[in-house]
Amino acid sequence: MVQSVDHVALLPAYLAAGTAVLVFLVDLLVARRGAVLAAAALGVLATAAGAFWLRRQPDRQTFCVAGDACSYVVTDRAALLAVLFALLTLGVLAFSAPLLRSRAVPAGEYCFLLAASMTGGVVLGFAGDLITLIVALETLTVPLYILVGLRRQALQSAEGAVTFFVVSVVATAVALLGAALLYALTGAVHLGRLAAALTADNDRLRSLPLTATAVVLVLVGLAFKVAAVPLHAWAPAAYDGAPVPVAAYLSTASKLGGVVAILYVAVGALRPWLDVAGPALALLAVLTMTVGNLMALRQRRMVRLLAWSSVAQAGYILAPLGAFAVSPGRTTDALTVAVAATVAYTVFYVVLELGAFGAVVALRPADADGGSLTDYRGAAYRSPWVAGAFVLALVGLAGLPPGLAGLFAKVVVVRSLLGGGAGWLAVAVALNAVIGLAYYVRASVALFGPPGPAGRARVAWPVAAALGAVTLVALVVGFAPQLILDAAAR
Amino acid sequence: MSRRLYGVDGYLGSYATLGLLLIAGLLFFVAAFSANRLLRPARPAEPPGKRATYECGLDPVGGGWAQAQIRYYVYAYLYVLFAVESVFLFPWAVVYAQPGFGTTTVVEMAIFVAVLALGILYAWRKRVLRWT
Repeated sequence: MVQSVDHVALLPAYLAAGTAVLVFLVDLLVARRGAVLAAAALGVLATAAGAFWLRRQPDRQTFCVAGDACSYVVTDRAALLAVLFALLTLGVLAFSAPLLRSRAVPAGEYCFLLAASMTGGVVLGFAGDLITLIVALETLTVPLYILVGLRRQALQSAEGAVTFFVVSVVATAVALLGAALLYALTGAVHLGRLAAALTADNDRLRSLPLTATAVVLVLVGLAFKVAAVPLHAWAPAAYDGAPVPVAAYLSTASKLGGVVAILYVAVGALRPWLDVAGPALALLAVLTMTVGNLMALRQRRMVRLLAWSSVAQAGYILAPLGAFAVSPGRTTDALTVAVAATVAYTVFYVVLELGAFGAVVALRPADADGGSLTDYRGAAYRSPWVAGAFVLALVGLAGLPPGLAGLFAKVVVVRSLLGGGAGWLAVAVALNAVIGLAYYVRASVALFGPPGPAGRARVAWPVAAALGAVTLVALVVGFAPQLILDAAAR
Repeated sequence: MSRRLYGVDGYLGSYATLGLLLIAGLLFFVAAFSANRLLRPARPAEPPGKRATYECGLDPVGGGWAQAQIRYYVYAYLYVLFAVESVFLFPWAVVYAQPGFGTTTVVEMAIFVAVLALGILYAWRKRVLRWT
């Protein structure tokens, strides 16, 4: 029989996939850079608008089996995630304008792959079962292998792409193995049914070591996407080899995708087993932030420094979930607080990180990579506005007062840790924040060094506009963090 | 009883034959090479050209790192395009005429094929179908 499909619920996914096809056709039939970029921007905006409109509609679901278990669930939160993914893609597209103009990468392929990746991100939020979730995450990741390797003249680009590809494939295999074991144990793939099966059949499953293996495998496989510690080493190589806007996309949209996947699986499906997954998550969080921060101290190249710092930030993101899992009682209230802290920190982080990478794009020549810290000497005198945005983003990532968003994010995380009774984790976060200060300040100071030989570079208007918008958002959520915290707590 | 003893009747039982075959193959291989080693005369010599690469009787030309034609990868990709398409077309072709399916099913498959056909369009517009 033909399955009845609710096409209205699928609207954002259709719009995102349609964007990819539109960009593809425009590139083949018109073959002009401006037209390709305009088509991509238009499609991405339409996707954001469609998802936003869907948010106003009553909740829907489709691809359901036997009534209640659905593979595609439209909720308020999922629609907001789709909007966020589309806006991040729009920002990255704007940052890509000078790169595409410099002909260093082919415009049509670049925009098409970016739109294809966005499609995965848009669908991810709506996922209601493990298969949809992993397929969406893979759709988000697969185009990025090529995007990372798209600077065809640079050897690091190919190296980064291969490293990213190999680690990613291994991680996906691990996650799939975990999902398959979970299915073998419970006979369920839908997140809700998994939780129900794990609760109902608790005694039998507890006696099987296989269950714990499956839970840990799924979470470790997904932790790759946020570059958490056992699977973090790809991040610096891939970020540094990739064109800078692609690095921005990797560290924001791709990381957001990983966080969403971990949240959906850990909270939606594996909640009865969080006491097994929790200590693992807490340990991962501490290791991730420590390794990330210590390695970032040694970096001489700007993008590598940002990459290691984003590894460290993944640790802060995972910390509240780990704290919830090791807290006594594990009440629903505590879970809500932990999830809200994770989501709020992720949103703050994504905005600040996009700002930082946008500033790197604006300060560097169009077809160049991130360069070393010394290449940024004198940037504060050449382009004070861009340098100001950069410093604001870095200071925000460090969690110092002028970039209030980052400070509130850290406060939220530490408060949720203390509330969850994980004092040692809060101490680890605090110590790491202090270590982090050293290299964020070092990167900021580099901007104020004696001017180098490079002359004043013009900043392309799309980059300037996007950087301005991102910085404005960072300032707004810095002064009114309650906006994000309220939205995250819902 | 003996069948049960060897576990041949279980789910994994069908693999027992395969396992036996593997073991027999391994034993044959080891026996043949051991016999060869024991029976053959051993008078190693180093005539000129003994360790040169054998190329159908011709003298070897160039080094071991010969370059392959990279342009064939395009044809590999195009093949994958059609292979994936046919994997989904076959089960569809079995059911689409049955009651309960109909126009919707045909339209769905048309969309799927159209999306894959974009790959051909790409190859054509980028001039990779022309042999240079």
